[in-house]
Amino acid sequence: MKKLTLGTAAALTLMANTAFAETEITWWHGMGGALGDTVNEIAKGFNASQDEYKITPSFKGTYEETLTAGIAAFRAGEQPNVLQVFDAGAATVIGAKGATMAVQDLLESNGVEFNIEDYISGVRYFYADADGKMIGMPFNSSSPVMYYNVQALEKAGVTPPKTWEEFQTVTAPALKDAGYVAMTQSHLPWVFVENFMSRNDMPFATNDNGYNGAEGTKILTNTPELKAHFTAMADWKEKGYFEWFGTGWGDNQTPFEEGKVGIWFGSSGSFGGLSKQDLPFDFSATYLPYWESVTTEPKQTFIGGAALFAMAGKSDEENKATTEFFKYLTSPEVQYMWHRETGYVPITTAAYDMAKADGHYDRFPAAEVGIQQLSLEASENTRGYRMGFYVQIRDVMNREFGRIFTGETSVDDAFNAIEKEANELLARFAKTQN
Amino acid sequence: MKRAGFTTRWLPILLLLPQLAVIIVFFYWPAAQAVQSSFYLEDPFGFGSTFVGLDNYTYLAQSAEYAKIARFTLVFTILVTFFSLGLALLLAVKADKVIRGAKSYRTLLMWVYAVAPPVAGFIGLLMFNQSWGPLTELAKSFGWDFALGVNSTDTAAAMVLVSVWKQVPVNFIFFLSGLQSIPKSVREAALIDCSSAMRRFWDVTFPLLAPTGFFLLIINITYALFDTFGIVDVLVKGEPGNNPLTLVYKVYVDGFRGNDMGGSSAQSVVLMVLVLALTVVQFRLVERRIHYT
Amino acid sequence: MTDITPNQPPLAKRSLKWSTVMDHTVLILGSLFLLVPLLMVLQTTSTPDLETIKNGPGLAIGDQLDDNFMAAMFKASGFSGENTGMRMLMNSMILGIGFAIGKIVLGMMAAYALVYFRLRFATFAFWLIFTTLLLPLEVRILPSYEIAQKLGLLNTYTGLIVPLIASATATFFFRQYFRSIPEELVEAARIDGAGPVKFFIDILVPLSQTMIAAMFIIMFVYGWNQYLWPTMVTTDEDMYTLVRGIKQLTQDLEGTSIPEYGRANMLALIAILPPVLIVIFFQSWFVKGLTESDK
Repeated sequence: MKKLTLGTAAALTLMANTAFAETEITWWHGMGGALGDTVNEIAKGFNASQDEYKITPSFKGTYEETLTAGIAAFRAGEQPNVLQVFDAGAATVIGAKGATMAVQDLLESNGVEFNIEDYISGVRYFYADADGKMIGMPFNSSSPVMYYNVQALEKAGVTPPKTWEEFQTVTAPALKDAGYVAMTQSHLPWVFVENFMSRNDMPFATNDNGYNGAEGTKILTNTPELKAHFTAMADWKEKGYFEWFGTGWGDNQTPFEEGKVGIWFGSSGSFGGLSKQDLPFDFSATYLPYWESVTTEPKQTFIGGAALFAMAGKSDEENKATTEFFKYLTSPEVQYMWHRETGYVPITTAAYDMAKADGHYDRFPAAEVGIQQLSLEASENTRGYRMGFYVQIRDVMNREFGRIFTGETSVDDAFNAIEKEANELLARFAKTQN
Repeated sequence: MKRAGFTTRWLPILLLLPQLAVIIVFFYWPAAQAVQSSFYLEDPFGFGSTFVGLDNYTYLAQSAEYAKIARFTLVFTILVTFFSLGLALLLAVKADKVIRGAKSYRTLLMWVYAVAPPVAGFIGLLMFNQSWGPLTELAKSFGWDFALGVNSTDTAAAMVLVSVWKQVPVNFIFFLSGLQSIPKSVREAALIDCSSAMRRFWDVTFPLLAPTGFFLLIINITYALFDTFGIVDVLVKGEPGNNPLTLVYKVYVDGFRGNDMGGSSAQSVVLMVLVLALTVVQFRLVERRIHYT
Repeated sequence: MTDITPNQPPLAKRSLKWSTVMDHTVLILGSLFLLVPLLMVLQTTSTPDLETIKNGPGLAIGDQLDDNFMAAMFKASGFSGENTGMRMLMNSMILGIGFAIGKIVLGMMAAYALVYFRLRFATFAFWLIFTTLLLPLEVRILPSYEIAQKLGLLNTYTGLIVPLIASATATFFFRQYFRSIPEELVEAARIDGAGPVKFFIDILVPLSQTMIAAMFIIMFVYGWNQYLWPTMVTTDEDMYTLVRGIKQLTQDLEGTSIPEYGRANMLALIAILPPVLIVIFFQSWFVKGLTESDK
């Protein structure tokens, strides 16, 4: 164990003074605003549900700042018990064996039964290792879905497109004639690369999408299918079917909220924000389209958002407390509350059933789409991906895609650059893992 | 050294000690660690690491994007420094001249000084919002289809404008107090010697402002290079995308955001060397010409 | 430019007026450039958040000012309920003042040693200090954190303040200033038999009043506005600073909710106030000092 620092000494004194010898644990997260309020509510709920343990959540800035703060703290022996890590940071935190305890091991060693089948299909393996053992507990889980403006589609006389072919030939021209921009989207790498692979059942990286280790993993984005998709998007932009408002999330969502856009690709979690807006039209959501020319059996998508990791180097006592917290967190009631308040998907089927039984989806049908899409047929390409320095790889994609849509580069050049730079980054990452 | 000064032995050492101690503990120690880790590729948690020699540096040298960022940083720094100093000097000269309302102007021109860089960034977002930003509308009324975050030139323009906006008041305060500390006798003599106000400014006032100006030059270059970080971060909405970036933001993107310890350390070292060289040159060139009265 | 100062004997009355009008025009335009954005922010704190999101700043003054002010000042946005606007205001104040005083004291002492003493390693020490102008804390933040932890400084005001002091701006500034002070002053002091300590306290410090005031402004604002370091080094909510609080309020992921813009903007304006008051307070004081020394 680490030597006693002033901080822990102070904490110990404090603990000694409280009437109950509560075990205190900490939880660092990156959820500001209203999400942060819900996080606090969960923590308060847990503390009120028993009197042996006490969790204290702490806002640490953006996802990236939270991860980096966690890393710095780990190196200094001051890590929190629970750390929230976002999707693109998964390879970093899972790669560092010894930094975290697999949540599955943690639960099982503390006598909590763990069955991965309890979790919604698309949630299970994103934060798991190559053998399918769950390392991080999915927390704020979302999946990209297709939102549409009901009145706009009615006015254009079309239904939400099932395939990109349909969008291209039927939906988009009709929406344009009706005076709408046919579509916008808020996250190109997430919606149109990562989940494009999953939905169209294509591999995203070698080494089993990177799950089998960082060494020699190469990205597989330079493919005719993906390039054809982006060529089509550039073409749609020419034709006025598609508009790109920059890399910022909100800038692309706003035109949809303003009723100028027929279809918007966002997160299942965006449901919360959209429904609080009192929009001048009805909106609904459905699955991401797929290319019929690529696959006739579209698959499920996987989750984005972030997961909670149990940091290593903690006492058994505290690990027990962390276990209890995870148990509380994954209980149907808490999951349903989280789902209802924020729009993120519940991660267990029990919570999903509870939401169904409560009539949540009768009131808000669009809230169910994310879960349904995550529960579609799975394949070896739908677990997710495990690529190091993925934050930078996403940055490269965003940069090159932006340049495609501002006419600064061609689709071919962009995908060559992405492949080259991503593979350099992956090779560099592999060297950090020795 | 021109100063004869005191000869006491222990006192100066004692005086320097606290400053040196803080700097050594919180600057040189971490900086040395940065230099060291620039030769490694390491897992941020500290489990794995590979010694890679100069790989991190050659990786930067070969990166066309890094060169692009360096070029942008240069242009950005020049523009921000030039405009924030120029505008502040203009305002200070005017504020020094007017008699009526001088105090109100001084007070009004200082407000923005206190705005934190990220908050300045938020205000920039408000002004340049794509759907209703007042400045977006203004640009559009001139036929400039301004789109922050889409067009990289537009984004760059917004970064420069917000950075200048935030920095003008600091420079203004210093120029004004510099101007007001010019002795009356000098002013009066100048008034007799040269009749043109422009010449009077360039021949008399400007040289006397030189020490203030040199100090401000350094402060402004440091500001443009480093302290604009918060502005850039907010204006790009936390996503580098196809936006123009500065070198410090790139260090942040790779190190803090992307957890590439080795790569970002190498960038820090490059940055350190570059700015060190710049400062030495500045010192040699400028300090020689400035007269301390 | 036909630029004629008012204290020049009037050549022609018309051109004199013209130049005054020009001066005022420039100053008014400058003030508008700086202030209008702030006024727009103020306007958004008076309207509902949804209104701001949809239409941006407008001309109408809404009725939310009061609510937003109360929320910004007294509502906690954390778990413990301790990070209210008041508390964050206090923390930022401690950070700003502590940082400014620390910088000025250390900087003056070091600059005094460098300028007024014959020191064998003066140039070396100067460069050792001056090099620190170059590398902001942001790029060495991880090792700095580890060191702060080793010294037991996490979640303390010392840990918040001291690592930020490790840069040379103040030393550099005072060095420049001391070197511009006439040398005769030291000579005179020595003839009077004043030792180095007496000279420093009785002559140099009072003489540097204006410089100290200027430094205090710069440093206070710099410390006040820090974001990344406070986020790293503090985890206890009762240690949060204002800039961090503002970022917390405006954060939104994947459009899941509507940030409280009114409250955040109000907090931003509140955050501007104390430094502005200090600037304005010191401004009149140091301008007065400057003109008085100019007899």
